[in-house]
Amino acid sequence: MISRHTMSRRKALRTGAGLAAIAAVGAPSILHAQTRTLKITTWGGKWGEVMKATVLPAFEKEFKCTVSADQAFPFVPKLQSSPRNDPIYDVLHTNSNEQWNSFTEGLVMEKITIKEVPNVADVYPYAVSDKIVGVTIFTSAIGLGYRTDKGLATPTSWKDLADPKLAGVRGGYIIPVNSLGQAHLMMLGKVYGKGLTDLDAAYKALEALKPIKLVDFTGQMEKMLLSGEVSEGVIHDSGVYRYDGQNQPVDFASPSEGVLALEQVLNVTPGSKVKDLAFGYIDYMLRPDVQKLLAEAVWYSPANKKVKLDAKYDAKLLTTPAKVATLIQPDWKWYNARKEDIDARVTKILKG
Amino acid sequence: MSTALKAMTNKRPFDAGRAAYLALNLSLLAFLLVPIAVVLIFALNPTPYISFPPVGVSLRWFEKFFASSDFMNALWLSLWVAGCVLVLSVTIGGACALALARGNLPGRAFLTAFFMSPLMLPAILTGLALFQSYLLAGIGRPTWGLILAHTLVAVPYVLRTTLAVLHNFDHRIEEAAAVLGASPIRVFFEITLPLIRPGVFAGGVFAFIVSFDQFPVSLFLVVPKGETLPVVLFNYMKFDLDGAIAAASMVSILLALSVVLVLERLIGLKAYVKL
Repeated sequence: MISRHTMSRRKALRTGAGLAAIAAVGAPSILHAQTRTLKITTWGGKWGEVMKATVLPAFEKEFKCTVSADQAFPFVPKLQSSPRNDPIYDVLHTNSNEQWNSFTEGLVMEKITIKEVPNVADVYPYAVSDKIVGVTIFTSAIGLGYRTDKGLATPTSWKDLADPKLAGVRGGYIIPVNSLGQAHLMMLGKVYGKGLTDLDAAYKALEALKPIKLVDFTGQMEKMLLSGEVSEGVIHDSGVYRYDGQNQPVDFASPSEGVLALEQVLNVTPGSKVKDLAFGYIDYMLRPDVQKLLAEAVWYSPANKKVKLDAKYDAKLLTTPAKVATLIQPDWKWYNARKEDIDARVTKILKG
Repeated sequence: MSTALKAMTNKRPFDAGRAAYLALNLSLLAFLLVPIAVVLIFALNPTPYISFPPVGVSLRWFEKFFASSDFMNALWLSLWVAGCVLVLSVTIGGACALALARGNLPGRAFLTAFFMSPLMLPAILTGLALFQSYLLAGIGRPTWGLILAHTLVAVPYVLRTTLAVLHNFDHRIEEAAAVLGASPIRVFFEITLPLIRPGVFAGGVFAFIVSFDQFPVSLFLVVPKGETLPVVLFNYMKFDLDGAIAAASMVSILLALSVVLVLERLIGLKAYVKL
């Protein structure tokens, strides 16, 4: 009987090897179980390159987690379709108009405070104003991009876009699908009427901009300016400054009535299972060194007041309280509530 | 009769109908091929924006495309998914077609409509519905989920082409084989399959191309670092509208064309075209 339980040397080695193999196979899954995953949305292009190459690996190392960064649009419909108690994203990165839509549907939090994200203490007031849900980490200035080789005077007012000389070579957006177009419509109300919400004045001014070349994305507007198809158009400063040093005959002008804010907003989903990581990520994105790295890579104005950019960027971006004061923030809650009616009206105006 | 007079006598009279027929065919060809030519021009134009006429010839956008790990990963994933979809849809679609054509199934018309229904729904809704179903089932968005989704929209193509072949199928050949002692399995592999093969594989080619170019269904089902080429191209276009998009399109077109040519060489799609 004893001999039946005695293990031969070969059998012992085989059993040991088997156990070691099971341990080796099982170990990564155990480690994986200990590593938390933060699910975020983020932009593509140059921003995405810097995020993937530098920012996210450093965050993962410091916070001992993995980040699943979704660059594939559409973010908000995906979030809407996922369970509220187990959302597909922990942190939603979009422009401000989409954050308002998401907040209205209860998909994201209303405010991000110093208590959750300490670096919020250092942001400019616009980053957490009553026009923002979540917190702004960067902004661009929406103004006028123009060709410098067409004999055009540097634009000084939004009204310059209506110059008859620009008929057919001025550029705008398909307003129902582009937030720059929507912001510009509100600005037309301010410039030609009683304020950003004066839609009648805005519609009348929009009619006067015809004929106008319309695009869906800002990337298309950039290329139309570069190719000369458009001589002057509505665009954000980063869409023009990114060609700095490439010998392209384009420049950006800030109209005297003010520039519109195109905010990059981060927000946390209420059902996130890793809220501490989500807040940690937002705090990380507001750190001066991270802000400087991204601001100089993509020409975004940092929301953190303490960021010191190199002279080239500092001269052009909104980095002082005086320059930040030229920013006008649209009321997206107001706009989104009327979007269907506005879409129908502007489509009728711009048809053909 | 002089030579000139002879030539005049032999000259075919102007046929307006034939001229109109040729003009229509040339117009259709131009309609199909001009966009591809324009894409090729953009892909070879070195300027960082789309311009016409082109200012030169350069391979810089092809170099950018092949040097980008994002594009390459997406390309390989698209090829892998399309390959799996081809195998699955040929198996499922071929089997369904046989059952529908030969099985004397009750409600055959309803079943045919049911299997064809993915083509009747907007693909974006199919993608959204599957996305929600996967999340509710707690399986997330695995690659096999994407493959199944593509298979869902690809099967009707195989079904349709196989049913077309089976419509002209002579059952007496199978009966003769059975009478001569062949087992049902042998009859299937040696008689039925070779005869329906052109239809099945023509459907497979469609399935491959439908999957490789699939955008609306993939939109909701891809995951970070697991995006297919059409989705990567769409997102790239929002930020960088340069010739790399055109280069990627040319590569896609050439790959799809290669698959068709390889299958034609291997199994002879011309046989299906004759049907």
